[in-house]
Amino acid sequence: MRAGVLSKIWAVFRKDLLIELRTKDSLNAMLFFGIVVLVVFHFALAGADDSIRSMVPGVLWAAFAFSGTLGLNRIFAVEKENNCLEGLLMVPLDRGVIYVGKMLAVTVFMLVAELIIFVFCLVFFNLTVWKEIPCLALIFFLGTLGFAAAGTLLSAISINTRMRETLLPLILFPVVLPVLVNAVEATNMVLNGVSEGGLKLPLTILSVFTIIFATISYLLFEYVLED
Amino acid sequence: MDQKRQSTFDAILGVLVLVGMIAALYMAFLQAPQEKTMGDLQRIFYFHVPSAMMGILAFSVNFAASLMFVIKKDRRWDNLALSAGEIGVMFISMVLITGPIWAKPVWFVWWTWSPRLTSSLILWMLYVAYLLIRAYVPDPDRRAMVSAVFGIVAFVDAPIVWFSIRWWRDIHPSPMLETGGLSSAMRPAFYACVAAFLVLFLYVIRRRYFLESTRYEVELLERKVGA
Amino acid sequence: MNSMGFLFSAYSAIWVILAIYLFSIHSREKKLRSEVERLKKMLESKNHKL
Repeated sequence: MRAGVLSKIWAVFRKDLLIELRTKDSLNAMLFFGIVVLVVFHFALAGADDSIRSMVPGVLWAAFAFSGTLGLNRIFAVEKENNCLEGLLMVPLDRGVIYVGKMLAVTVFMLVAELIIFVFCLVFFNLTVWKEIPCLALIFFLGTLGFAAAGTLLSAISINTRMRETLLPLILFPVVLPVLVNAVEATNMVLNGVSEGGLKLPLTILSVFTIIFATISYLLFEYVLED
Repeated sequence: MDQKRQSTFDAILGVLVLVGMIAALYMAFLQAPQEKTMGDLQRIFYFHVPSAMMGILAFSVNFAASLMFVIKKDRRWDNLALSAGEIGVMFISMVLITGPIWAKPVWFVWWTWSPRLTSSLILWMLYVAYLLIRAYVPDPDRRAMVSAVFGIVAFVDAPIVWFSIRWWRDIHPSPMLETGGLSSAMRPAFYACVAAFLVLFLYVIRRRYFLESTRYEVELLERKVGA
Repeated sequence: MNSMGFLFSAYSAIWVILAIYLFSIHSREKKLRSEVERLKKMLESKNHKL
């Protein structure tokens, strides 16, 4: 039943959101780390004061990616603690449903963190953006969704290895590279004034990536969780 | 016995590899004409490109074997997947080493972020990640399943990575372009090298698969003895 | 290093990588072969005891 599936996804999604709202563990860590990355890059790129505006897209998405990795680690680490994962698996849920719920939850966490990190970025790098906001919002949304689509599956894989969370960055970044490349370029196009038509290609690739990886992850998720 | 027939086949194959490689060397060094702009240095091409092709072939085999394992759950597919994955990493390592050796005298830099070299690097990282995952999952059956999932993810990701990098390169062009140009006079040597590498590929993957089958045999025996 | 030197290094690198890899397969195989023999003998002695 269609309605049944959606309500199950909503249940998983809501659970993760509620837990996060109560503790705010992930959000705080993601936020703080994202801002730290911005500061680090300011010092790292100190020699390039003139062209700093051209580097902002890259710096911004680096901050998003590193902060997002924290969030991805947390969505399954939080289940590993107290062995909640076994409990979750005992509920008669299609495994793909757990995937979608978790992916949407981590997307929300990332978007919230990204919004605040972005504001800090505007301040640190002295940028003003007003009319660019709708385009940027779309890019951030698509990029984050793609990142989460692949990341949620990979997080589930890494959390069950001996290295646990430490493995995630190693396996995540090669896979989501297309997201980062396209998102950075699209952000660059918007911030540094390139024709709007040029945005179609990166946004299309981001969408294609998201659809492909959400589908594969949905189908393969159960094989990663069997325990 | 099957093993005796296999050893003879492998012995013949081994001889073919030797003959093939010597023929390939002859073609690359003596038969092929000298290239106009780079001179003899261009001859690296005859081994550099077939290595890349064999790497991609290996990863295709890994993808097919991973898919078959997820469907059939027969460990022999996992043995094949691992063998193919490892060999792929070996061939791509060759690409990544010969690439800079070629680039340095021509472009005076060790690394050019050319599409082929960059894509090879990401591809290498993807399958090193595959091997890393395998290293950190102790249980053999879980290891097979989890790495099969990642094998599928990596292979689906690869074309998107390549496309994204190529598009990025179009936006950020560089004077250092990789010459992939083959004049018709060079084709016989190139095809000869590809053929030699194919025979080599077959030989190495058979040897590696046999090693993995032996390891699986040990695992089964250990289970029986332990029981 | 002139271009011939680089050419030589590139081809040597390929041969060295191949050689190391094939050699590692060979040595791992020898070790596993002896493991198989050892385990088979253990299994045989176990079956004889039954």
